[in-house]
Amino acid sequence: MTDSFRHDLVAVVPKLRRFARSLVGNVQDADDLVQAACERALRNSSQFRPGSRMDSWMYRIIQNLWLDDKRRDRTRGTAIDPDDAHLSDEGKSARLPEDRMMLAQVRVAMAGLPPGQREVLALIAIEGLSYKETAEVLDVPVGTVMSRLSRAREALLPKLRLTEGRRQ
Amino acid sequence: MIPPELPYGTRPTVMDKDRLAAFVDGELGPEAAASVVMHLADHPMDQAYVDDLVAANVALMQAFGAPMDEPVPEDLRNFILPSVPDASVVPFRAKARPPALVWGGLGIGVALAAGLAVAVFLPVVDPLDLRPGPLPAASALHAALTDQPAGEVRSTQDGAQIMILGSVPTPEGYCREIEVVRAASGKFQAALACTQGVGWTVEVVIAELLESAGAAEGFGTASGDEAQGFAPFLDRIGAGAFLGPDDEAAAIAKGWNR
Repeated sequence: MTDSFRHDLVAVVPKLRRFARSLVGNVQDADDLVQAACERALRNSSQFRPGSRMDSWMYRIIQNLWLDDKRRDRTRGTAIDPDDAHLSDEGKSARLPEDRMMLAQVRVAMAGLPPGQREVLALIAIEGLSYKETAEVLDVPVGTVMSRLSRAREALLPKLRLTEGRRQ
Repeated sequence: MIPPELPYGTRPTVMDKDRLAAFVDGELGPEAAASVVMHLADHPMDQAYVDDLVAANVALMQAFGAPMDEPVPEDLRNFILPSVPDASVVPFRAKARPPALVWGGLGIGVALAAGLAVAVFLPVVDPLDLRPGPLPAASALHAALTDQPAGEVRSTQDGAQIMILGSVPTPEGYCREIEVVRAASGKFQAALACTQGVGWTVEVVIAELLESAGAAEGFGTASGDEAQGFAPFLDRIGAGAFLGPDDEAAAIAKGWNR
């Protein structure tokens, strides 16, 4: 394993933590997930193709670990700590109480999506991956990505009502 | 007025919703995107749906985006880089007395004479301290990286000087070389900070003590050896050539969005 691999891995950690939070909805569990993913990445560094995207490779590891975890404990569901939903660091950037409430609504709505839809929405809307890149990370056809994305948004938009006040 | 009988977010659109979503997600080519733009001008319900999607994307990024403004947790960094105390800090090599510095490829003389080179890792002492990790959006360093052209020196209230040495495109955004000189405290730092259009993250830092006598003598021509500190990182991420003034000005005008 080269030093550059380790440095590149550190460089993508902020993105990985963001992705993990969008999946898990809980700051501590998300960081544990990132830690586990980094452990796996370091063990399997020989499988990483130099020149390919480190972030995409790590997204895939995180997604696999997350799904493994959910399969092991199907009854647990997604834990949304009230502090994570309403008073986490993310809320500091929202100056108005209604903004903080809105961000909390977003996190709760995201946590309510089925895993497959949550993954797709996180990779495209938050991580900025293309449909094709998302399909590669999740190892599914692009058509599956599009249908999951469509269903995720159909479920999410009615709960957020983001532009309703401005429009009417 | 939106018809109230349908639940919010489920109202029908004239254009296929997947196509509108692909437009929002940047999946359409220029011609297809232009046709959507023209369509939206005549179809307010479709425009409203696009507005909903854009607002949802923004809200999702805000709701989960905090880690992008936080440093990598120390325990995780140490786990990944166990044998390097602070692997993003590149100390200068010991060197008797470099006449000056030039950052290779930039062609920009650095207004600094570096003294006897003893590598130091500067502790966090003020908002101008360059440390690996995201920069606060309200900081002077963030402001300089956002809108200061290369070669221009900006002085702060406490007498420090900030200079941008150059800008390079990367596959995902841009990186800029920045230096902070605090003659009063004898500190000099240079760093490479990168952005993907939102915020700046310091990736590599070079720190050194100024030699007051050298600084007083002004600046000579560089050997360029020190500039190699950033080169491996730039090579690794596939950075391109340094931007000329016009391209850099265009990048500043676009807020460093590709």
